[in-house]
Amino acid sequence: MWNLVVILQSALSGLLLGGVFALLGVGFSLSWGVMKVINISHAAFGILAAYIAYWGLTLYGWDPMLSLLVSIPLLFFSGLVLHRFLIQKVTRAREIVVASMILTFGLAIVLENAMLFAWAPDERLITTAYSSRALFLGEVILKVSNLIGFGLSMAGIGGIYFFLYHTHTGKAVRATWQDPEGAALQGIPLNRVSMIAFGLAIASAGAGGVAMAYMYSFNPPAHNHWLIFLFLVVIVGGVGSVIGTAVAGLMIGLITGLSGAFLPFQWINVFLFGLLMVILLIKPEGLFRK
Amino acid sequence: MKRSTEGFWTLVVIVALSWIQAGTALAAEKPILIGGSLPLTGTFSATGKWVEKGYQFWAEEVNGKGGILGRPVKLIIYDDKSDAKEAVNLIEKAITVDKVDLLLGGYPGTACTAVMPVAEKYKMVYVSMGGHMKSFSQGYTYSFGSPPLMGEWWYLGFFQWMKTVPADQRPKRAAIFTMNNPIGVSLMDSVYKGCKDLGIEILIDEKYNLPLTTADAMIAKAKQMKTDLLFANGMFPDGVMTLRACKSLDYNPKAILQGIGSVIPEWTRELGKDGDYVFSGTSWHYKLKYPGNDKIVKVARERFKEEEPPLYFGFGYAWMQTLQQAVEGAKSLDQTKLRDWLRKNEVKTIAGNFQFDEKGLPKPFVYLTQVIRGTVELIWPPEMRSHEPVYPKPPWK
Repeated sequence: MWNLVVILQSALSGLLLGGVFALLGVGFSLSWGVMKVINISHAAFGILAAYIAYWGLTLYGWDPMLSLLVSIPLLFFSGLVLHRFLIQKVTRAREIVVASMILTFGLAIVLENAMLFAWAPDERLITTAYSSRALFLGEVILKVSNLIGFGLSMAGIGGIYFFLYHTHTGKAVRATWQDPEGAALQGIPLNRVSMIAFGLAIASAGAGGVAMAYMYSFNPPAHNHWLIFLFLVVIVGGVGSVIGTAVAGLMIGLITGLSGAFLPFQWINVFLFGLLMVILLIKPEGLFRK
Repeated sequence: MKRSTEGFWTLVVIVALSWIQAGTALAAEKPILIGGSLPLTGTFSATGKWVEKGYQFWAEEVNGKGGILGRPVKLIIYDDKSDAKEAVNLIEKAITVDKVDLLLGGYPGTACTAVMPVAEKYKMVYVSMGGHMKSFSQGYTYSFGSPPLMGEWWYLGFFQWMKTVPADQRPKRAAIFTMNNPIGVSLMDSVYKGCKDLGIEILIDEKYNLPLTTADAMIAKAKQMKTDLLFANGMFPDGVMTLRACKSLDYNPKAILQGIGSVIPEWTRELGKDGDYVFSGTSWHYKLKYPGNDKIVKVARERFKEEEPPLYFGFGYAWMQTLQQAVEGAKSLDQTKLRDWLRKNEVKTIAGNFQFDEKGLPKPFVYLTQVIRGTVELIWPPEMRSHEPVYPKPPWK
């Protein structure tokens, strides 16, 4: 049964979803690209921000978007501290990628258990007055919560792009990523630049976490599910590529959505991850990495 | 006079001494060890901890009344970290190292399924929820579901009730979306049979893998095909997504049935009014009119500040009630005697009165529930009804 409304609905829902994957993925891509640090705890910070949004809403009636005023600075600062006392030491290891994965895996477990201790493993859901509202385009609908999540994602990715391409520090981050030794010779303080990049990555995880929480229920272990999408988006988009991550997110969302219209649902993940394998075989550096 | 006073005091001393002696004897009785594992950390820990609380409350109550067969009970509950393989290792440890007298039922179904053959190997009675019909169809003779959690029976109550709805008001076209795992698949038996019996045409029957990324396409299909009965056979996260998609897409079937997610407290707490009118099933509910449920409600409210006792708190208690009645009925801890007693006698639990067949299962039953104004109400069977059903489901506001 191929029905135009179902196809359009699936495509639109998928695109909005993909935008959110992209925001969650962009910081992951940044720390992987700049520092060669694969931050397994990235999505756990997203969950932390989702909890801040949840409790802000539940206890004080704050709109989840307002909670970002708290969570983004908090997570940025946490990123700086973590970099200073943990990540920086790992970047001296011979096998940075492996060492960073082990370290941040441990960090994810600590964070998950801390959240379990604080808030129990109960499922949480962000329910605002507009959670189930929708805009109608004929028979096709746009969920307001997904639109907000998508808007937040585009703003977040745009902000990171602006920072990387139009600010002095951002350019230093890119220089460090592209040629660390050359950047050091130019007098760029590598540690400081990496620290800022890591802080930014963690802060973006927070924004991504809030955007995800508009669409999905969450509990502390949910970061393990979210992590799957992070890898998918970053590998398809190309490590370190902001635009690549954004486009890959949208693509993956679109494919996921459209697969729902054309394929039996149980084949969606098979199709999606099969596609990832093909991409890795043809272009192992990612679709958008030059 | 003096003589009678002396006699009185002698009597007092004798009585006091005999009390002390009796008390010492009871205290000195070797406790009955009851052991096993639960998921106290990891994915299933939220539920596992409620089973543990049910077990502990039962033990506390039993010990307060002098124990079983005059001996106190002592629980040995290991944490299997939500890993079925670990559950098997730990039950072996409980049997061979701790030399427990009785086994504790585990959670979830995957752990029970893995432990049931171990219980059979050691010929020890194992009372648990089991792992759906497949686990009870392996020829085990020492495993009992009291109550069991049977996906295959899940919607029995719904279809039994639906038969009482006038034929022209019943739904005609069903959409079924099922999580692609053993729990989801086990629900299908009762759906297919019930739809066939009532002449409901199944227009969509699809499975999805967890985690579900989006439910919009599913619900868009269901709406376009004008289905008026929705089976969302999933857990909480996918159930919530499906329900929100229903509301956003303004899809209004006559009834929505949600598999597992809607009978947990989070459903009403997190979804609010949007979670209303969803039907589901359960093997225990605190409003069931069986003795003991009032006590469970009281404890849940006073001790755990839970207005509605969590499902698995009741399950844990009911499994232990079964074990207790077997021991007291057989007047022995001999496992084969316990098994044979359970096979021949009826047990009375807070979930119902059960007689077991050769599989270790009671007669097929599942209570139909509906969320009404934020409360999970009992709809079927009629003698247990706590609220009139709301049908057809009111349109989304």
